[in-house]
This record gives sequence, structure tokens and C-alpha cells, in this order.
Amino acid sequence: MSTPAQVWSYRTLIVNLAQRELKSRYKRSLLGWMWSLINPAVTLGVYTVVFGVFFGAQAPVAGNGESTVFALWLFCGLVMWNLFSGVINTAISSFSGAGGLLTRTYFPPECPMIAGLITVIIQALLEGGILIFFMVVIGNLSFTMLLILPLFVLMSCFAFGIGLVLGLMNIRYRDVFYLTGIAMQVLFYATPIVYQMSILSPTAQAILRFNPLTSYVGAMRQVAYFLDFPTPGSWMVMISSAAVSLVGGWIIFSRWAPTVIEEL
Amino acid sequence: MSAIVVEGVSKKFRLHTDRAHSLKELITRRDRNAGIDQFYALDDVSLEIPEGSMYALVGHNGSGKSTLLRCIAGIYRPTTGSVKVQGRISTLLELGAGFHPDLTGRENVYMNATILGMSKKQIDGVFDDIVEFAGIGDFIDSPVKIYSSGMYVRLGFSVAIHVDPEILIIDEVIAVGDEEFQRKCFDHLADLRRRGVTIVVVTHGMGTVETMCDGAAWLDHGVLQQEGPAADIASAYLRRVNEHERAERQADAVAAAEAATGPGTELGTVPEVDPAAVTEAWFGEDIEISEVWFSDSAGEVVSTGTTGEPLTVNIAYRAHRSVEDPVFGYMIHTENDTPVAGSNTRLSGIETGKIEGDGVMAIKMEQLQLLPGNYEFTIGINDKFVQHTFDRHYRSHPLAVRRGTLPIGVGFVELDATWIAGSGSGHTPEGS
Repeated sequence: MSTPAQVWSYRTLIVNLAQRELKSRYKRSLLGWMWSLINPAVTLGVYTVVFGVFFGAQAPVAGNGESTVFALWLFCGLVMWNLFSGVINTAISSFSGAGGLLTRTYFPPECPMIAGLITVIIQALLEGGILIFFMVVIGNLSFTMLLILPLFVLMSCFAFGIGLVLGLMNIRYRDVFYLTGIAMQVLFYATPIVYQMSILSPTAQAILRFNPLTSYVGAMRQVAYFLDFPTPGSWMVMISSAAVSLVGGWIIFSRWAPTVIEEL
Repeated sequence: MSAIVVEGVSKKFRLHTDRAHSLKELITRRDRNAGIDQFYALDDVSLEIPEGSMYALVGHNGSGKSTLLRCIAGIYRPTTGSVKVQGRISTLLELGAGFHPDLTGRENVYMNATILGMSKKQIDGVFDDIVEFAGIGDFIDSPVKIYSSGMYVRLGFSVAIHVDPEILIIDEVIAVGDEEFQRKCFDHLADLRRRGVTIVVVTHGMGTVETMCDGAAWLDHGVLQQEGPAADIASAYLRRVNEHERAERQADAVAAAEAATGPGTELGTVPEVDPAAVTEAWFGEDIEISEVWFSDSAGEVVSTGTTGEPLTVNIAYRAHRSVEDPVFGYMIHTENDTPVAGSNTRLSGIETGKIEGDGVMAIKMEQLQLLPGNYEFTIGINDKFVQHTFDRHYRSHPLAVRRGTLPIGVGFVELDATWIAGSGSGHTPEGS
């Protein structure tokens, strides 16, 4: 079982793996890095048009007391969601992608997973930066936005723990990959990202609170849109879910990864 | 001081003969353990590899050599037993493992070297040496996917040997690359060894084992057969390989004979085999060396030779099919494996023509030039391009040479040379 200390001693490798991933990602593409912006921009555009225009969804009033920009309200949730789904999908592909390497040289199998995590976090920081930029444009700015970083950290830990386990299982059962795709779709709509909690019935709202992602997305909107602090309750949900997921996922992964590697 | 201590290592693998690849299969299959077989890739292997030595693992394919290497490298965990390693390991299990085709040679070198445990600063220090050794030149800044396979392999090897390992683990990869690069690799390995690096190799080249390695271990089906000085292991292993090949051929022949007498003959699918020939087919498939004996000038069989007296080496063979121009060869070794002399019909410019059935090929020496001592003859028959060996008796025909009446010198051979004093002919080479 690899301890965090052992993994730390391989940090150069982790950085290199992440660099390799980033460098090779947009090789031979004309727009290169632009793609990492185009993708979320298009998603945001489509949802804004569909939900904001066609369905006429209204965003609540922002923290500055005047603006109601549906796209930005939506973007807050999307940034968080992209981080979550990105971490999980990357974890699954990182492990199967590093398989060849792991059977030829020894290094802790956590390394490629963390490298993948880093690439997703970089993407999230980029999106977070754009979000803040537009918030500044509409004059909706406060120091609560500093809390975006800890929220990112908690979200990453939560998703990473799940991703470690799914990545591991995916080696033995390829179904995991397809199941994850479906689960992600369901989860996306089972989280108040494109709609407000308030449009739901009280029962549905109660059910949705069991979804930790509701707290993450809600907290993100609190700090970046409403310029307020998340409730202690949502902090608790986030911190405990992130801790349980990360510790559990790490233990399961480091316990079983060497066995699974032999099957690659 | 041992660099690597392997103690009672066993490695069990599960054979997924009918492994569930999807959840559906997993759920619907009743007995989940039905398709799982287990086998031991390594079975209680213990060995010690001294620091600074070059050590070979030999054995046929699937004997567990690579599994053992991976256990030593830490990639596999032994099921039972332990592996203790003193020092930093660099592995070379597959050349260019971890090269990303779209990245440049430079980027890949950094990538690969960090996988092998180097820091960026260390890589900076040896980067030029790596490129120089690989002979890649300006291509270093091109994506590796445009590299020729040779360049790919050279770059991979170059990285692995420049990471300054204390222990280097190599899996059958030296066999790649052209002649010149191979020689460079061997030189470099010898150099590393002089600097005290412990090298463990898996190889099928017994020549490599004999000439380069200090120690060796021979594995068969995961079980350690023998361990010891490299030369001993190499010859023991070769002997077994030859025996095994013969036994297999016999089994094949028996099976063929059975098939021939069965219903197969009616269908005409199995070629006819003379049942009487089955026991004979114990030896070489196409040509076998049936007997080798020494004889004197009178044709009498002898078991010893005399320096300066005539001696003939007779090779009786049986060709089971007609073979065009086979090459007969011999090699004489001393008891402690120093090669003394050897040649073959091809080197001597002899065409043996088409041979079929029984025959005898003789090597006639008017004067035996071997000095007194014990020698061993290796006799072999190859195809005309010396690519395929029909049969070979490796160091299995001993010849004791006795002192005759002639005055003799020292060493292994008596040259046909004379002392000439003051005749002047050889005195001034440019003169006259």
C-alpha cells in the first residue's frame, strides 16, 4: 500500500505525467488551448438558450442586489459540475491509460491518478477565472469569492475518491465506464444546476438534499453569485463527504491497485 | 554483500479462462469461481545476486523469468516470500515504455527518466550524453512517432542506462538494434559493471551468458533448476534444451505413427510413417547425428589421440529426408571451456551435396595438433545457410590426448612451425 509520503517522493513524475497529458492533449489541433474554453462556453450557451430563453427561467438577484444574469448563475453551477465529472472521467481514463507503464516500471499507481486530477483542476481554475472575470464585468464582486478555492479543493477530494474506485473497477469490468456515463447524466439533472431548488416540491427538495452535490453547487453559488457564506450545514456535508470519499477511495485503491495491475 | 536477496518467492496468478468481462456476465454466471484456475508462475524461488555482478536468468519462454524480474523490480508483489533489494533500481523491461508518440524525443526523455526515478536537475546533467549515446542527433526535437524503430529503441536504452542506477534490470531487450549499437550496449554494460552496478538480465543468448555474466539462474516452469556460475548454467541449460527437443520429437513421431495406423490413413490426411522408424526418429527431425567416434590411421576406433599422430573424427548421420548442402561443423573446447579450434564445411568451402539416409562425414587430421590434455568436441549439422541446426552434440564427445614421441611445446596446440636460424630469408623483410 502506497502511503501519501511515498507518492510525494514521486512528485516530479506526477508533474511530468500531468505535463505530458496537457502537452499532448491539443497537439495537432489548430485552436489548441482554445478548445478548453470553447467546450464549456458552448455548453453554457446551449443551456442558457434552452433554459433561460425557451423555458424563460429566471435567475435570482445576485449579491450586488441588482443583476440577474441567468448565464452567470448557471455558470457557477456548471463550473462545479465540470470539476466533478471531469475528475471522475479522468480518473477512469488515467488508470487504464497508465496501465502499460505500470506493468513495465515500478512507481506508485496513485501517480497517474493524481496527474490526471491536476489537469482537471487546472481546467477548473481556468473556468473559475473566467467566471470571476464576468462577475467583475457586471460589478458583482466580493471577498467571499476567495472561498472558491477551498470549494474546489473539497469538490476535487470528493470526486477523486470516487474516481479512484471507479478507475480500479473499470479495469475488471468495462461496464463501469458506460455506467458512469449514464449515472453522470442522471446526476446532472438530480442536482440543482440548470434549475432552482425552489421550483421543486418540498418532497423533491428533501430528496435532493441527500445528494452531496447539491451542497457543493449551492455553496459555489453562495460565494460567487450571492456573495454570501455557505451555511454551516453545507460546510459539514461537503467536508465530511470529501473526507470519507478521499480516505475510503485511497485505501481501496492502494490496497487493490497492485493486484489489478497484474491483470492489465 | 548481496544486492538482491530473493527468499522463497512464489507468485500465483489466476488464469481467467472464462472471466466475466461485464457485470451482466458476473451476475448471470452461477459459479463465479468456475472459470478461475490458478497457476504458479514462480514456485519457492530463492537466490542471491551479489552486488556488482552481472547475473542472467535463463529458461524457456514462460519459465517465470520475467515474472521474477518484475517481482525484483517491485511491479509484482510475491504471493509468498520476500524480495530484498539494496539500491536504486532502473528497469528496462520494454524499450521506450512510456514514450508518447506525439511528444518530442526531448520531452519523452524527461518523461521516461522521471519514471525511472530521476529529478529534473539530474536529467539536465546527462541529457546530452543520452542523445549522444542514442545517436539521434537533430531528431531529438521531433515527435518520436516519426522515429525509425531503431531510433526508438536506442533512445529508450540510452535513457535507461544513463539514469545512474545501482541495479539495472533488463528483459531481453539487448537483442534489438543493429550490430554496432549492440556492441555499444554491451560495452556500456561492461562499463557499468566495472563501476559496481548490479545487472540482472533475462536472455536467450547463451553466448551472452557465458561471456558476460558472472552468475546465472535457470528457471523451468517457475521452479529454480540450478543456480551458479554462468558458464555452468548455460551448458546445463543447453543440454536440457537438446534433450527436451529430442523427447518432443519422439513424442511427435509416436503420435504421427499412431495417427498413421488409425483411421487417418484412409482419409489420406496423414503422411505414412514407417512404424519401424518411430523408435529411430528419437533424434533429429531431419538429420540426426547418430554416432561420433574417433579412429586412428588404420581405421581402428580409439578413445584417445596422440599428439602428432593421425586422427579422424567420424560423424555418422542419418538424414530422414533429403537435405541440400547441410553444413557439418565442429568445435573443440578444453575442459574448462576455452575454445581451441573450430570450423565447418562452409568455412572450408566444401559443398556436401544432397544427403539422404545414412552416411558418415569424417574430419581427417594427418597430424593431431592438440597438445596432451582433455578436450571436448561439439559436433553439429546445420542447414546450408547455418541458420537452422538439425542436430548438435554440445561438448559431449570427450577426447583425451596423450603425449607421443614427438617433442612438444606448451599450450593447447602444436603449430606446424620450424625454427630457422640465420638463414636470412626472414631477417630483413624489406631487403633483397
